[in-house]
Amino acid sequence: MNIVVLVKQVPDTWSERKLTDADHTLDREAADAVLDEINERAVEEALRIKEAQGGEVTVVSMGPDRATDAIRKALSMGADKAVHVSDEALHGSDAVQTARVLAKAIGTVEGYDLILAGNEATDGRAGAVPAMIAELLGLPQLTQARKVSFDGSTVTVERETEEGLTTVQASLPAVVSVTEKINEPRYPSFKGIMAAKKKPVNTVTVADLGIDAGEVGLAGALTTVLEAAPKPPRTAGERVEDDGTGGTKIAEYLVGQKLI
Amino acid sequence: MDFSLSDEQREIRDWVRTFVRREIMPLEPEVLRRERRGEPGLTHEEHRELRQKAKQAGFWGVLTPQEYGGMGLPAVMAALIEAELGRSFVPFRFGGYADNILFHANEEQKQRYLLPTIAGERISCFAITEPGAGSDAKNIRTSARKDGADWVINGEKTFITGGNEADFAMVFAVTDKDKGAAGGVTCFLVDRDMGWKSEPIDTMGEWGPASLIFDNVRVPEENVLGEVGRGFQLAMQWIGQGRYLLPARALGACERLVEMAIEQSKTRVTFGEPIANRQAIQWMIADSAVEIEALRWLVLHAAWQVDQGMDSRQAQSMAKLYGGVKANEIVDRVLQIHGGMGYTRELPVERWYRELRLLRIYEGTDEIQRRTIARNLIKGHASVRGVLG
Ligand SMILES: Cc1cc2nc3c(=O)[nH]c(=O)nc-3n(C[C@H](O)[C@H](O)[C@H](O)COP(=O)(O)OP(=O)(O)OC[C@H]3O[C@@H](n4cnc5c(N)ncnc54)[C@H](O)[C@@H]3O)c2cc1C
Repeated sequence: MNIVVLVKQVPDTWSERKLTDADHTLDREAADAVLDEINERAVEEALRIKEAQGGEVTVVSMGPDRATDAIRKALSMGADKAVHVSDEALHGSDAVQTARVLAKAIGTVEGYDLILAGNEATDGRAGAVPAMIAELLGLPQLTQARKVSFDGSTVTVERETEEGLTTVQASLPAVVSVTEKINEPRYPSFKGIMAAKKKPVNTVTVADLGIDAGEVGLAGALTTVLEAAPKPPRTAGERVEDDGTGGTKIAEYLVGQKLI
Repeated sequence: MDFSLSDEQREIRDWVRTFVRREIMPLEPEVLRRERRGEPGLTHEEHRELRQKAKQAGFWGVLTPQEYGGMGLPAVMAALIEAELGRSFVPFRFGGYADNILFHANEEQKQRYLLPTIAGERISCFAITEPGAGSDAKNIRTSARKDGADWVINGEKTFITGGNEADFAMVFAVTDKDKGAAGGVTCFLVDRDMGWKSEPIDTMGEWGPASLIFDNVRVPEENVLGEVGRGFQLAMQWIGQGRYLLPARALGACERLVEMAIEQSKTRVTFGEPIANRQAIQWMIADSAVEIEALRWLVLHAAWQVDQGMDSRQAQSMAKLYGGVKANEIVDRVLQIHGGMGYTRELPVERWYRELRLLRIYEGTDEIQRRTIARNLIKGHASVRGVLG
């Protein structure tokens, strides 16, 4: 099975993340950049499928030059090759534009059976790109997967959301986005790191993909960030005095927050 | 002059950074709790699991040559890895290595000592220091007397790291009193079951060394490492193997400590303002950051000299001395910034405070490093202009 995995470089959740004052886009200088953890899981799933069924894993990423680090990480884990869309014009692109560019980039990969992605990136958290790509490519979309299995050309997914668990099926090729629960990603091996250097990375511009530079980037975005404010500092929280009903009060609170 | 990391160096460094964050740091609270109860920080099981995970990914034997199953990485990479590991106080290092002098063993000894040590099946210790001979290692008294085909060892070694756990020791003993260090000291590979005993020594640190007692311990001739009379050279080689690694680990600790201090200073409010706004606190942070930067480049420069095959002794002594002195000043400031909390065993600051103190003593005290550095300059072996001339 030939698999395309969409990966994204994001600011490390361990470092302080900020938006630039000028255009409310991500301040990429402020934080260390890493391969999004959810993408590590998507790559892991692709590798497991490949190990079971054979085939090739191609990672596709859109991002500035330094996103090569995230791509190399995926290659070190064991992916076979990569497509990197890198273009100044992409700065500030929104989810719709991103999906358009990625759909075109996926089109350069020959004979894929499955497109895997994380359900949402830890930075933008729009959680919309995989579904949009499916729409653009005319493929079935199976989102929020915590388990994926195959039977011939049918893919079955356990879909987990706040509403509960659903089992959904589609025929391949399809777009599947995975949640945190899908697996524990492997560490790249030392050998894998050394081997990654020799794996092919096809770097393309938007022009190479037949997209007009005016259609992408901040100016052409369908959505605009008008204002941004840092998260308010943590407040003291709510204090529950335990007069014998403490347990009930906490349970009520958790139910109110939809946590249980 | 290029001070940046190559892609490969950054990837390997980041791998270790991720491993430390995901696998090691989560163990920290429990390690602290256990140590407070006087138990070992990591259980055998945890240790085994960490090593297993690292080994599976091939992060094993950082400096061990590839023909022995290691990664065979250069010294600069080893220093970068050590600094990342140093960011946690959890006592963990990647396995798969052996003391450099064991690589001088003959084929038969390699099978019995070198390979099992790399594989983690045997544990070695290096025993030169004695109650009467520390800095002045040439003054050792432990003796080995020839008796038929055997050597008979008598004497006491002290402060031997790993001496409680080791199942063999590299023991340095006088085989010719008249010659002393110049041809009269020999290194022996001595199995514990040949009859030496160990006695733990309590220290202010979390890991204790041992004293080793040799009372008529018989060692067969084939257990001489290298040549009879050439032991002192081996000892010097052992000590020189990775002096840059000790301050590299301290470098990682200092980075983490100062990060903790910055965080603390931003959140701790006194007299209506975060203490980070006070010049007294800012100067401590600034001085520490400058010293960390200096230490980083002293360490990497010493390691770079090792990789270039240069005589790195001066650079290594400088890195070791500076690392020992500055790490202790930095941890003291960080403790100060934390106030009373810094003094408690709730936080790891006091633990580092105790641990880093050792760096000024073992593998050549501050004073001995200064003596080496000054002598090299006075005798003209080194110049204050450094390697650039
Ligand atoms: C935890 C720990 C682990 C150790 N692990 C090992 C090990 O695995 N194997 C091993 O063989 N040894 C080991 N050692 C021993 C260590 O290397 C010695 O403690 C060290 O070399 C200092 O020797 P000493 O303790 O005898 O101090 P001394 O040599 O007695 O020195 C006392 C003081 O005098 C100073 N001094 C000595 N000579 C001079 C001089 N000429 N000029 C100026 N000042 C001088 C010293 O710097 C020091 O401040 C370990 C020590 C410790 C504490």
